[in-house]
Amino acid sequence: MADGSLAGRRGRRVRRWAAPAAAIVLLVAAWQVFTAVSGTEQWLLPSPTDALAAGREDHASLATHTLATAKLALIGFAAGVVTGLAIAVVLHLVPLLRAALYPLLVVSQNIPTIALAPLLVVWLGFGLLPKVVVIVLVCFFPLTVATLDGLRRTDPAIEDYLLMSGANRRQLFLKLELPHALPPMFSGLKIAATYSVVGAIIAEWMGADEGLGKYMIVAKSAFRADKIFVAIAIVVVLSLAVLGAVLLLERLLIRGRTPRDADV
Amino acid sequence: MNRKNGSPLRLRHIAAITSAVLVLAACGDGGGTDDASDAPSSTQKVKVALDWTPNTNHTGLYVAQAKGFFAQHGLDVEIVQPGDADAASLLAAGKVQFAISAQESLTQARAQNVPLVSVAAIVQHNTSGFASPKAKDITRPAQYAGKTYGGYGGPVEEALLRTLVAADGGDASAVKVVNVGNADFFTATKKDIDFEWIFYGWTGVEAELRGEPVNIQYVKDYDKALDFYTPILITSENQISSSPDVVKSFVAATSEGYTYAADHSAESADVLLKAAPDLDKDLVTKSQEWLGPKYKDDAPRWGEQSAQVWTDFTAWLYEHKVITTQVDATKAYTNDFLPTANG
Repeated sequence: MADGSLAGRRGRRVRRWAAPAAAIVLLVAAWQVFTAVSGTEQWLLPSPTDALAAGREDHASLATHTLATAKLALIGFAAGVVTGLAIAVVLHLVPLLRAALYPLLVVSQNIPTIALAPLLVVWLGFGLLPKVVVIVLVCFFPLTVATLDGLRRTDPAIEDYLLMSGANRRQLFLKLELPHALPPMFSGLKIAATYSVVGAIIAEWMGADEGLGKYMIVAKSAFRADKIFVAIAIVVVLSLAVLGAVLLLERLLIRGRTPRDADV
Repeated sequence: MNRKNGSPLRLRHIAAITSAVLVLAACGDGGGTDDASDAPSSTQKVKVALDWTPNTNHTGLYVAQAKGFFAQHGLDVEIVQPGDADAASLLAAGKVQFAISAQESLTQARAQNVPLVSVAAIVQHNTSGFASPKAKDITRPAQYAGKTYGGYGGPVEEALLRTLVAADGGDASAVKVVNVGNADFFTATKKDIDFEWIFYGWTGVEAELRGEPVNIQYVKDYDKALDFYTPILITSENQISSSPDVVKSFVAATSEGYTYAADHSAESADVLLKAAPDLDKDLVTKSQEWLGPKYKDDAPRWGEQSAQVWTDFTAWLYEHKVITTQVDATKAYTNDFLPTANG
């Protein structure tokens, strides 16, 4: 039974990855065939092999730019997480503040970042700060909203029970509300994770000396669509990597609670 | 920040990143609701894309339109701003028939087999240079070492910097380069940027009007090859082969527009202002006075392009690794569509 179950689980894990991997391979193959058969110019739509060749040609500078973008994305993501969680906790603990500020939070997401970014440069200069601000603006909202929802949906029966047991506000928050908010918080975190890399690219467009965003602009000016596709592929991989890290963290923090729940 | 007063040279290539495929998807052929029955049956519809928001590098086009020169040549011309799409890519993809570009950009395009051709030099000599606020006291390229250049992500920029600094006996590797995106010259140089590449005729004139004068080192003064053509009027090989008469008519009318603008700066400034009311009147007027005589300058006719300029600059681009494949300069331009009469 145990052996069968283990083998079965391993098999399911493999099959879970097989389908999307196959879809990607088919897509890339179709893309290659299309460019070969249609004779589309390389500057209009390069083939996967063209993009691969460009990636090899520029591998050294691509590594530098990728590292710069990854660093910026992680710093921005960390700042976004801290900001998002802090806002969620404060708004949760001070209902009056929540009523006053929640609409402003929503409005903050209607601001087109592309239009705001140049103003951030005017206000904050060309250093790291305006770029981090752009990424925070992009990342914090999904995390704040998801976490606030999670904090609010605490089971009232358990809350009453704890209150009757003499728990104070602080204990109630730390023991009940926060743990209960973890699953939705991670939902917000996954969205924020994918946004952080795209946010970094947008930030780099408004001013940077390194990064995939700058690489894309230079490639575009030189009519190198093949290089743009390489950069896009790297951005996708980076986004998936950050998302993967969050998924791993989620599994560690939330699955660890499952046995106890099951026991109860 | 008034985006429309940004430097046309610096901002020419700044755009949100879109691949050519997205450009094709986003820019349909539709959208025109012209009433064809009102136009003479012989009128040919033509689109010309600017390299950025309207400025005095473009005045001749607006004059040709307002004075009816296009209409006299049987053309119904729409002047479009490509926004975030690249004008040259739109031209190559057949979405517009003509565009404003620059010699370095067209040469890079041809290095990638994009079949674009320059049919006229809009300004006969290079009016661009590296400018810094006078207060920073940068008076020659050797002083760029240790300073920060604010760029727009053009492949040619660092090669230009190296050439000027080296020609002046400085250490080119000590120049820091930062991409400044859409920030305009005046904002950027109040922050962390020391100098930028501008057209004197627009940003330089603006600086004078603001009472924030600049020092400028023109690129053409440090290497003969750098007196290249920017801006230029371009079309595609396909347009030339399929509709040579349209190309000839368009270039003739445009030539009349720029020639007229050169001789009537005040009136032409008004024409540009009517077409682009958001522009600052003083800037347009003063810029037009400065730039008008330079359209034709010492050439035998407006638009004339020199084989030597094309050959020398193309060789320079290759030597400095801005392009990595050889480009046949003789195929990159043609004077064949310019009217023969002296302007």
